Amino acid sequence: MINEIIVNGFLNGLIYALLSLGFTLIYGYSGLLNLAHGAFFVIGAYIFSSLASLLYLSMIFGHSYLPVTISLILTPLLTGLIGAAYYKVTLSPLIGDELSILIVSSSACIIFQQILWLIFGSVKAMQFSVPPIVEGNTSILGVHVSNNLLVSAALSTVLFILMSLFISKTKIGRSMKALSQDVEAAMLMGVNRERIYTLTVFLSGVLASLGGIFITCSTSRFTSVYGWLEPLAISYAIVILGGIGNIIGTIFGGLLFGYATTIVSRLFPRGGALVPAVPFFILIFILIIRPKGLLGKRVEME
Amino acid sequence: MLARYMRKVYTSLATHIYDIPSRMMALMLLSMFTLLPFIRFEVTLISTLIEANFIAIFAASWDLLFRAGQVSLGHALFYGMGGYTTAILFKYLGWPIWITIPISMLVNAALALIIGIPCLRLKGPYLALVTMAFPLVTLGLIKGPFSSVTGGEIGIYGLPSLFPRELIKSPLDRVMAEYYLTLTLMMFCSIILYKIAYSKTGMVFVSILDDELASKACGINVTKYKLMAFAISGFFASLAGCIHAHRINVVNPPMFGVNISLIPLIAAVLGGLGTIYGPFVGTYIYYILDRYILTILIPMHKWTFYNVEWGQVKPIIFTLIVIVFIIKWPRGIGRGIVEKLEDLEKPREIEEIEKEKSKKHEKS
Repeated sequence: MINEIIVNGFLNGLIYALLSLGFTLIYGYSGLLNLAHGAFFVIGAYIFSSLASLLYLSMIFGHSYLPVTISLILTPLLTGLIGAAYYKVTLSPLIGDELSILIVSSSACIIFQQILWLIFGSVKAMQFSVPPIVEGNTSILGVHVSNNLLVSAALSTVLFILMSLFISKTKIGRSMKALSQDVEAAMLMGVNRERIYTLTVFLSGVLASLGGIFITCSTSRFTSVYGWLEPLAISYAIVILGGIGNIIGTIFGGLLFGYATTIVSRLFPRGGALVPAVPFFILIFILIIRPKGLLGKRVEME
Repeated sequence: MLARYMRKVYTSLATHIYDIPSRMMALMLLSMFTLLPFIRFEVTLISTLIEANFIAIFAASWDLLFRAGQVSLGHALFYGMGGYTTAILFKYLGWPIWITIPISMLVNAALALIIGIPCLRLKGPYLALVTMAFPLVTLGLIKGPFSSVTGGEIGIYGLPSLFPRELIKSPLDRVMAEYYLTLTLMMFCSIILYKIAYSKTGMVFVSILDDELASKACGINVTKYKLMAFAISGFFASLAGCIHAHRINVVNPPMFGVNISLIPLIAAVLGGLGTIYGPFVGTYIYYILDRYILTILIPMHKWTFYNVEWGQVKPIIFTLIVIVFIIKWPRGIGRGIVEKLEDLEKPREIEEIEKEKSKKHEKS
């Protein structure tokens, strides 16, 4: 029982952290409160499942790992492009007006959800089951874990390292950081705000869709087109837990959240109904007790 | 005696309403709404307007909270809790609605106070998030641990109607009665909320919205006023939930949904944030556009295109219209109209008038 909680909580926590990494980027580095993050999660899962099953069915590559790998590379790029287009159309004219951004991004969620419904439909979508990345099981500490979960957790760790290197080492990453500290000074130093923000939204779309693919693959749970609220709440809770814009804090928050959900679902009576409420419990407690996040620095609460 | 009284009414009307174009406009709109069922009786239109009437109270209560600088993304909590409180009081104690609704409103004012206390420390997006979390946590509790009391997913059925069947027999008459009841409630609540918002207390709220530190420095007890705003807002918001519950005779978990929390936001931004009359304008635009124009006036129910139904396309068109409205008129439609009307009565410089005249001459 305890072994199960430790292993499952750790692996799920890493994937949850990947999902919320995109949210930290967009919220911490560009200050846009993008509620459509959950929609990118759903879009990613849908594009991946349909693309992979199409490639499987068309038999171009035979029954190898190629179809899954190709769709694993193509899906984040597509979702990122959708995100960038979405930013250009809706968010960029509203920069600086927080309430309007809130409303517009939440209405964008509804639009994405309806478009997904139009494309896939409720019945048609059931035909696509999310294909596993890798098949088989491994036992760790006496707990049977699907290889899928292991691979997803490993990939998310790699992506974490890549992202933190990207932000600290490259010029684009450093200009993202500069924009988050002082917009005007950064723009005077020759940083193109529009371009950097678009890139940030693109990256957050990529990470959200990867999170969507990994979570739906490893739990083999069918995501409904209306399921954008839960991933959004999860990523928000994790970001607040770790401190906004803090990448190491995000990993920490993700792990904590993974453990919290596994404990609630395993130990509480009727815990299954409570699982969607866990991120909100965490949010309320963290924001009331320690508003800057567990690892966050002193931030002006503006 | 009567003549004197009539004269008093006339002078007050002339000074407080007739002289101010925006109030005159509001009076005209209200009289139009009062006469509407006699001019054009359509059950769909009237029931849309019934819903708009009490949702307008809900939106305005959100706007009052916004005027105190507190952006709430979880107003559905009061909406849902209002409905659930009356339902539970009816189910377990069997009290009539004219007792349960006021009690539910008071309970929700107390609930708003309890929620307001932890929210005092938070600002901006953090506050919005915490308030967004409250209804969803309540939803989890209602579906999970407390499902034996609240009926879980199904909710509580068989609540008494606003007007019992024995009292008004014909269903059309009942629709009319509900329409006039909600209209009068809307009028009363709008006047009370407007009076609160533009009284001395309301001005204190605005000072908190503009600069909390400065108002603290002026010796204002910010904590007290913020909590007051929360309590008033919860009180009026729960009224809408109560009416909704007794109108459809059911309370269920969707009353806590995110879309309910978003309605007052969209209505307020459409009409004009922080103006109290804005959300009223916004709610009517929202409901007439969504429930009447896009569903009834455009008869597309039978329209299908490769299995695509109108019901699935409608939300896209509606949200696109809302987004265009918000990007085009960020200050709000209601506020725009009122500012235009107030410009009419401003004294103008003679030169300005002459300039306009010369422009007209040039054109002709």
